[in-house]
Amino acid sequence: MLRAWFNRQGKTIKQIWPLLPAAAYLLGFLVIVCAYLIGLTFSTETSPGHFLFPSMHTLSTIFTGKQFSKALINTVAFVLVGTPLEIVSGFFLAIILYNSFKFRSIIRGLFLIPLALPALVTATLLFILFDFPGGHINHLLMGKYAVFPQVISHPIDWRGSRFFALGISLLGKAWRDAPISMLILLSGLNAIDPEILDAAKTMGAGLRRRIWHVILPLMIPSLSAVLLLRSIEMWKEFIFPFILAGKYGLLGTLIESLYNDWGNSNQAAAVALILVLCIVFSTLLFLWVMEILKKKVLKV
Amino acid sequence: MPLAKSSFLKKRAKGLVWVASILFSVALVVVPVYLLVKYSVSDSGSINTGGAPIPLWPYAPTLRSFTYLFTESQFYGVIVNSIIIALATVFCSMLLGVPAAYVLGRYRVPFRRTMLLGLISVRLFPDISSVIPITEFFIRFGLQNSYLGAVLGHTLLALPYVIFIGMSAFESIPSDLEQQAQVMGAGGFTIFFKILLPLSIPGLIAAAIYTFLLSWDEFIFSYFLLGLGKISTLTLFLRQKLAYAPPQNLLAAISVFISVPVIAFSLALQKYMTAGYTSGSVK
Amino acid sequence: MSAVVLNNICKRLGTNQVINGLSLDVKDGEFVTLLGPSGCGKTTLLRMIAGLEEIDKGDLYIGDKRCNDIPSQNRNLAMVFQSYALFPHMTVADNIRFGLKINKTPPDVIQKKLTWALDMFSLAGLEKRLPRNISGGQRQRVALARALVLEPNVLLLDEPLSNLDTALRELAMEELKRIHHQVGKTVIYVTHNQVEAMTMSERIAVLNSGVCEQYDTPRMVYDMPRTLFAAAFIGSPAMNFFDGTVIIREEDAGVDTPLGFIRIDKDRFGLAQKFVGKFVRVGIRPQNIAYVEHRESKRYSDTTVTVEVELVETLGDRSLVISRGNQDTKLRFLIARDITLQIGQKLDMFLDGRRILLFDQETTLNIFSEPKI
Repeated sequence: MLRAWFNRQGKTIKQIWPLLPAAAYLLGFLVIVCAYLIGLTFSTETSPGHFLFPSMHTLSTIFTGKQFSKALINTVAFVLVGTPLEIVSGFFLAIILYNSFKFRSIIRGLFLIPLALPALVTATLLFILFDFPGGHINHLLMGKYAVFPQVISHPIDWRGSRFFALGISLLGKAWRDAPISMLILLSGLNAIDPEILDAAKTMGAGLRRRIWHVILPLMIPSLSAVLLLRSIEMWKEFIFPFILAGKYGLLGTLIESLYNDWGNSNQAAAVALILVLCIVFSTLLFLWVMEILKKKVLKV
Repeated sequence: MPLAKSSFLKKRAKGLVWVASILFSVALVVVPVYLLVKYSVSDSGSINTGGAPIPLWPYAPTLRSFTYLFTESQFYGVIVNSIIIALATVFCSMLLGVPAAYVLGRYRVPFRRTMLLGLISVRLFPDISSVIPITEFFIRFGLQNSYLGAVLGHTLLALPYVIFIGMSAFESIPSDLEQQAQVMGAGGFTIFFKILLPLSIPGLIAAAIYTFLLSWDEFIFSYFLLGLGKISTLTLFLRQKLAYAPPQNLLAAISVFISVPVIAFSLALQKYMTAGYTSGSVK
Repeated sequence: MSAVVLNNICKRLGTNQVINGLSLDVKDGEFVTLLGPSGCGKTTLLRMIAGLEEIDKGDLYIGDKRCNDIPSQNRNLAMVFQSYALFPHMTVADNIRFGLKINKTPPDVIQKKLTWALDMFSLAGLEKRLPRNISGGQRQRVALARALVLEPNVLLLDEPLSNLDTALRELAMEELKRIHHQVGKTVIYVTHNQVEAMTMSERIAVLNSGVCEQYDTPRMVYDMPRTLFAAAFIGSPAMNFFDGTVIIREEDAGVDTPLGFIRIDKDRFGLAQKFVGKFVRVGIRPQNIAYVEHRESKRYSDTTVTVEVELVETLGDRSLVISRGNQDTKLRFLIARDITLQIGQKLDMFLDGRRILLFDQETTLNIFSEPKI
């Protein structure tokens, strides 16, 4: 009996050994990341080259500083506005592709272009378009092209104001990632049995009713998946605000500036750790809310 | 009669809304890309217009930005660096990832879900959060500002994708084929090299291309692991130019140069992924 | 000489006992079918013979060798999978050559065998095609050709016809029979389709939940099913069953049933003797119930019963009548299609006493069949 068990274990190991190098590589880095994040966060440099561990000094410095709370507020706003923006636009694109029409596959290919464009390139493009005082967008809004009415009289310094700088970062992020939401939602739509929709039609449900009472409820699993995944991506965002928002940063850009501009790896690691915790916390919160909503909906 | 007419009008209006929303969304996607290309071939007069509206097509389209790029001696080195790092990343992640994908895709591995979660867990950290500890670690072991460090970092990013794409490629091969070969007298190596590998090649090529592109346009890890030191990649070069506010046509030209292979391969990749290569072998 | 011997084989998958102490022997050159409903363990059994599943307990002999621990590739057998498992990246010719190349056959022999196979299976002209570019029937033939060029000791077939439509399947059955006749290989064939089993095999093993219910010629399986399961599973339309008690009177023996007294054939009095007074399950095939007006005379062994027509289904050449007899006993029988029947009409029918089967209620065994498997 025991021998058979050992034989089976031996066989399993013989089968899975090719997995081990990759597992060691990934798990090794996981350990490094966790150890360094915690180690750096809870130590302070007492004098050049000398570190004290454990210490709460780094964290308390961060929490008392103004920079951090600003960045945190910016990030939360970024997540709260960006996630719905991205999902609504993704849903819009998905609905278009859900219908069959001529050139559908070509248009599907076009919709995927933003995804193929490197984020840095998209950020650069926005950097050029929202230039001040020149820039296409400023010229457009000032009514210099015949097709568009004049909205502003003076050019706006987009990257110079907190609101606009974060706004265009958000725009870039939503533009680039909407196709991902589109793909997930489209597969959710395609998973709906067309016969169900036909059945609703024969029962006299118009388009609006079909969307509200049939499509949306059936889409809840894919919608909540998109909501969760995309909100996590919003927390993680770095490139767009790094290129476009400069000093009006998010947590991500704060980490970069603490590390590169201030050379403070302890504080950078601390913010990095807080960012991870923020994501964990918001994920749990999201799942909790979903659970409650599910119960409420089931009651109704 | 009027009833029929109004329903006809309603249908017409619906059709119009429909076409308008398609055109709008296509424009939303295409116009920015068009503008990027336009800027890359703009002459300086079409950019600094001195108050006149920026033209939708440059007054004197020119490839000067591109030729200028190639006269800059640094640029060649940057391209070579990007290619070296990307190829080495492909090599490392395929070397580690394909065997792992093979095991996960073909065998009943105990605790498979837990194992998969463990493998991708390091990627659940935001890049910007995980790059700090890794940079610190690399500095300690002298890997920062080295090709090896960048390759190791990019491999970390790409490996989970290689494992996932490869796994589904291996999974999609019906186990009947493997067993058939076994019954016919084929050993493990023959089965792997004659049956499984040829059938999973499209998926593995897709994984390799994906990895190459990931490394090619990667920014965050390159930025921290290479800094703005002596080894520069295309994305770092672009970022460096951005910091010095250069002519916009030059920025656009670099952007186009980075994007072209990505877009081209992405289309090819889509084709590879959807190819029903195994259709017909098993009913 | 036996080509394959299974001795008390057991197999457990998870908590499920798939094969339970099964024994079987297949003679050299014989065509044997493993027949049973889905989930009866027939495919598992075949895969154990192929070496794709481990055997928990018992012995498997192929030729004279015990093969339990010999890996699949060294058993010198060939298998055709239900899906055909053609290698999609290889042409028809490469698929056929694959096994030969692995076994290091000299190139001229490979070429000869390839030509033979293409000719034998009428695949000439398709050598360079990929599996996805040929029809279902052709794929099936390629799979067979690929298996047979290896000159295996045993050919294992796992429902190879289930993916073909009816017309093609009939053709393929003829083809398989012809090839078995020409090549004379031992074949073990798995199917749930009794027509295939009846048509092609020399012996049929009827499997039910991991146990062999009967192992005999198709004729015996049909005429003299060994167990209640075999009787119910084989034959279409399905056999009629009802309860009864065995009675022997002077010069007369039979069963007392809800339909009344049913006589059995004289030859069987002896075998029924032991069961006098016992409850049995009585079975008779619809084919063995005749319409009185169609018979010139009543045989001694016939029993007349009166039934009321409930439903008539047209089968094409004949009609299936579902009727109720005494005490609401359901009776199904076949009748010539030119007879028009009304629902509720009363009919007199003959039950052929020579074909009546009696099954022991406890053991489910046929009390008339010989005590062998």
